[in-house]
Amino acid sequence: MTQILENSAHVHLLLNHVPTIGFGIGLLLCLAGFVGKSDVLKRTSFVIFFLVAVVAIATFVSGNAAEAVLAGTGRTDFPPGVSPAAIRAHEDAALLAFALMEVTGFFAWLALWQWRRVPSSSRLPGWTLPIVVVLSVVTFGLMTRAAELGGEINHPEIRESGLRQGDVIQTVNGHPVKDNDALNAATVAVEPGSTVSLGVVRDSKLQSVSIAIADAVAASKRAERTNEAASLNVRRTVLLTQELAAQYGLKLGVEGLLVEQVYEQGSQGPVDTGIARAVGLYVTGRTWVWPTCETLHFVGLCMLFTVVVIVDLRMLGMIRSVPYSAVYQLLPIGMLGFGINLTTGILFFLGVPSQYVHNPVFYWKMVFVVLGGINILYFMLVDEAWSIGAGEDAPFSAKVAAASAIFIWAAVLFCGHMLPFIGNSF
Amino acid sequence: MEFLRALETSGFSVWVRESGSLWSFPGILLVHTYGMGIMVGVILAVDLSILGLVPALPLAPLQKFFPLVWIAFWLNAITGTILLAADATTKLTNPDFGVKMGFIVLAVINQRMIQKRLFGEKPSPPATGKALAWMSIACWLGAITAGRLLAYVGTAVK
Repeated sequence: MTQILENSAHVHLLLNHVPTIGFGIGLLLCLAGFVGKSDVLKRTSFVIFFLVAVVAIATFVSGNAAEAVLAGTGRTDFPPGVSPAAIRAHEDAALLAFALMEVTGFFAWLALWQWRRVPSSSRLPGWTLPIVVVLSVVTFGLMTRAAELGGEINHPEIRESGLRQGDVIQTVNGHPVKDNDALNAATVAVEPGSTVSLGVVRDSKLQSVSIAIADAVAASKRAERTNEAASLNVRRTVLLTQELAAQYGLKLGVEGLLVEQVYEQGSQGPVDTGIARAVGLYVTGRTWVWPTCETLHFVGLCMLFTVVVIVDLRMLGMIRSVPYSAVYQLLPIGMLGFGINLTTGILFFLGVPSQYVHNPVFYWKMVFVVLGGINILYFMLVDEAWSIGAGEDAPFSAKVAAASAIFIWAAVLFCGHMLPFIGNSF
Repeated sequence: MEFLRALETSGFSVWVRESGSLWSFPGILLVHTYGMGIMVGVILAVDLSILGLVPALPLAPLQKFFPLVWIAFWLNAITGTILLAADATTKLTNPDFGVKMGFIVLAVINQRMIQKRLFGEKPSPPATGKALAWMSIACWLGAITAGRLLAYVGTAVK
């Protein structure tokens, strides 16, 4: 089991650069397509947007496995240098970017679909193109943020703000602080959410450290326990004595408040906060949400099967009197069903991540979902499939693609169904 | 109630419920789910075609899928009966189960009417067809919802 977790954590480290880089390339191609008025470039960029959105599903769910590896089982013993708050911040930014990216992928797919629908004109109907462009720019912005915050988890040196153990605070916004009362008075005067600049002796050098004043409520809660500068995310500061200076290897003559303990790297940090956690608690906290999502998951499954049965069996030889261009019109029903199931599925995942990140069947399901995303492109892009007329037998490649589609989606359903039986869910 | 209890404690029912084999409860429910996907999937394509949402797709050839629909239906009737027997005292006393059966009976009658009226020799007027298609979608949505909720509501006394 640990191996599954570590593998998927590695998968996350491998996959997490795909969305950002892929989307960047897609965006460049899309712009080049507009400037050069090239439909091929535009279509290529839409294919990239769609594929990146598909791979992002695996990136998103493997991210929770990476967190589980870092956190151990109880989420309290993160290794040194890894901050639970940094993980939460990354997870929230990633959830937002992921949601937007899936919407972008959906519309990019729809634009690709519309391209074929009107064979007489190669132009797209007006509204999908601007939607995809605007969505992809916003998504790219959100994703860059998520990637930045993700980088801070494993590269703590990037984190610019924050006090460390052993820092000696000398000034707050330029005013000298001689003791804890002065520090409290100086930080209380600052509005929560705004930034203060601290003069700090760190590594024998006077440095300026910017730090955001923590949320007032959380700060006051902590202050009850510690009566210290909790709003700076510091658990304990003490007046520097000669003894302490020697202990921390500080030069003689340095004066100020020594940071003895900070809130990071432990269970005291704001672990159970954030959007992802709030959504998860909503899903598990309301009795009606889970059953409703399950019902919708089944409805989505039936919509997906509409396409799997009719389109793929047409390729394999049933209703041969119908041309491919006619069954092609059914594809959005399947994609809509997939969208319903992705949304409800992610809600399950956010509700009880541990049921899935510890479950080998779930990883197989994700593998097949990604394969299904690649498979559908055959039915969208390849001219050989598109040109199958009324009464014509499909070419061998189309039959292989259709048989694969049936196998892939049957496997997705199989894995989903077996989550509690082969795996350990519920 | 005595009969239900006898049904539930029969060797086969106990195997289905308690053996832990993937071929018992998990496998039977899996077949039930595949059956649902195939049956409702095809019926949805027919309904949407009747409603004019897939204008290029002609209705008549879709009747070639009806044997598949009925195979899937009988597969689900059989697997459904087995699952019911394994949990008879709970499921058969659950009002939600009655709701599910009600929807399915309506949906089956409706499906037979669609096949007779819209695929027969004298097709009905479009308005009738559309009403039947909406009815079909509503009934299957109802059946799926009631079926899913069986796991959550009305856990009656044993």
